[in-house]
Amino acid sequence: MLETLRNFIVSEIGVGIFALDREYNLLLWNRFMADHSGISAEQAIGRNLFELFPDLPQKWLSKKVDSVFMLHNFAFTSWEQRPWLFPFRHNRPITGGIDFMQQNCTFMPVREADGEVSAVAVTVNDVTDVAVYQSMLKQAMAKLEESSSRDGLTGVYNRRFTETRLLEEIGRVERYQAETFSVILLDLDHFKQINDTHGHLGGDEVLCEVVARVRDVLRDTDVFGRYGGEEFLLMLPQTGREGAVAAAERIRKAIAAAPILYNEVPIHATGSLGVATYEVGAPKVERVKAQADLALYASKRAGRNRVTFYSAQMVDKELGAG
Amino acid sequence: MTVIALTEDQRDALQEITNIAMGRAGALLAQLMGSFVHLSVPGISLADASNISGTIAQTVGRELAVTAVRQSFSGTLRGEAMVIYDERGCRNLADLMGYEDEVGQATERELLLDVGNVLVGACLNGIADLLVSPLSYSPPTIIAENAEVDRLINPDQLTWDYALLIQVRFTLEIRDFTCHLLTLMPEESISQLKKALDAFMESI
Repeated sequence: MLETLRNFIVSEIGVGIFALDREYNLLLWNRFMADHSGISAEQAIGRNLFELFPDLPQKWLSKKVDSVFMLHNFAFTSWEQRPWLFPFRHNRPITGGIDFMQQNCTFMPVREADGEVSAVAVTVNDVTDVAVYQSMLKQAMAKLEESSSRDGLTGVYNRRFTETRLLEEIGRVERYQAETFSVILLDLDHFKQINDTHGHLGGDEVLCEVVARVRDVLRDTDVFGRYGGEEFLLMLPQTGREGAVAAAERIRKAIAAAPILYNEVPIHATGSLGVATYEVGAPKVERVKAQADLALYASKRAGRNRVTFYSAQMVDKELGAG
Repeated sequence: MTVIALTEDQRDALQEITNIAMGRAGALLAQLMGSFVHLSVPGISLADASNISGTIAQTVGRELAVTAVRQSFSGTLRGEAMVIYDERGCRNLADLMGYEDEVGQATERELLLDVGNVLVGACLNGIADLLVSPLSYSPPTIIAENAEVDRLINPDQLTWDYALLIQVRFTLEIRDFTCHLLTLMPEESISQLKKALDAFMESI
């Protein structure tokens, strides 16, 4: 009775079970394996696994099976690293969005009374549902992260995220001796007046239009963040002085190129920009920001709607002026 | 504390058993990987939960960043094993583990799991065989990637006070590879271990 029960369970359980001898010949092939592979137990038993499934990664898998025989050890494969061993169809053909049944496999030593391992038993668990949920969760997390890193009005990165990216870039430059980056601070000129004249909605429209124009002249790799009310910070990876000043000039021109229409009223907006390049070996995010800020201040003082690159004399000048 | 502390005889027996087991493990791993694996003499100590991170850092060294794989084992003995790699991980061992293609990120993780699983199994099965208490294993998982050693165990989440710690260092000189295996067995498992050690001493 017990024997019948065991055979029934091994055959009917909703988990793939098969067993191998030292030459990788199949000793057992349960119904789950037969149904999903289309190879019946009669066809499978006695055959070499790698002959039946020539696409299996033989070198790696045989090593795994060997390790179970040799070390009397368990071995595992997980869908997260290797989605499947056997190209089985899954039961979510419509809603799955996944090519084959995702599988977790466990390889177990079948030990005889003398302690020797006579076979390796393998279970194949269908974890397609887990994989689907996990990928849904990942998408939701990515969306959440995306929305928590964006400025609500303009859609560019918020201050917190921009700061994080600056720190990461400093880490990258210092660790891998990557090419340095530059920072542009952009401040809209006379923004308070725009708000006073056209109302806050008019001011918001200007911010959004400026963002759209700046975006048009940026590279995909540039990081564009809103730093305060009408202040923006741009981080240009792998860009030195020359490239950064040219980019800042493109931004300035794009903003000033044409008036922004709000309720069919033209608003003339311009921006002042300060540019500084990160100095390798001084891993302080504050420093490059302070330098860009000094350069921005110089642009403002020189009459606005212009680009200034940071120079060391500015410190003295500002200190003297202050 | 007195209940879980091993007697001198039990301690000696455990040291002897782990020495034999590591010797076997080294030979088996060499056979499997086709490369000589050096295992240090196992260190056995009683770890205090309140200072576990310090103990691990002392054992492993305060490397800049470590990557760690954990795996639980169960049978009459229960506990968790951790394999701690340095910042180089175990990319160097890919071919020895049967990997043929270039090692990308997913493959690198699988390799960390594979190597960890083999090292844990080789060492613990040796001990389990001598103590005649076969073990089952959970699938290994990665608990830290390039993290500080102190971060491996969250001291606020521990539900045990003392654990038996067995520590072994592996080196493959020709591959410039080194890693640490830490096996931790909590209190309730230690009394089982003591029984098994007594039985082992009677049998010899």
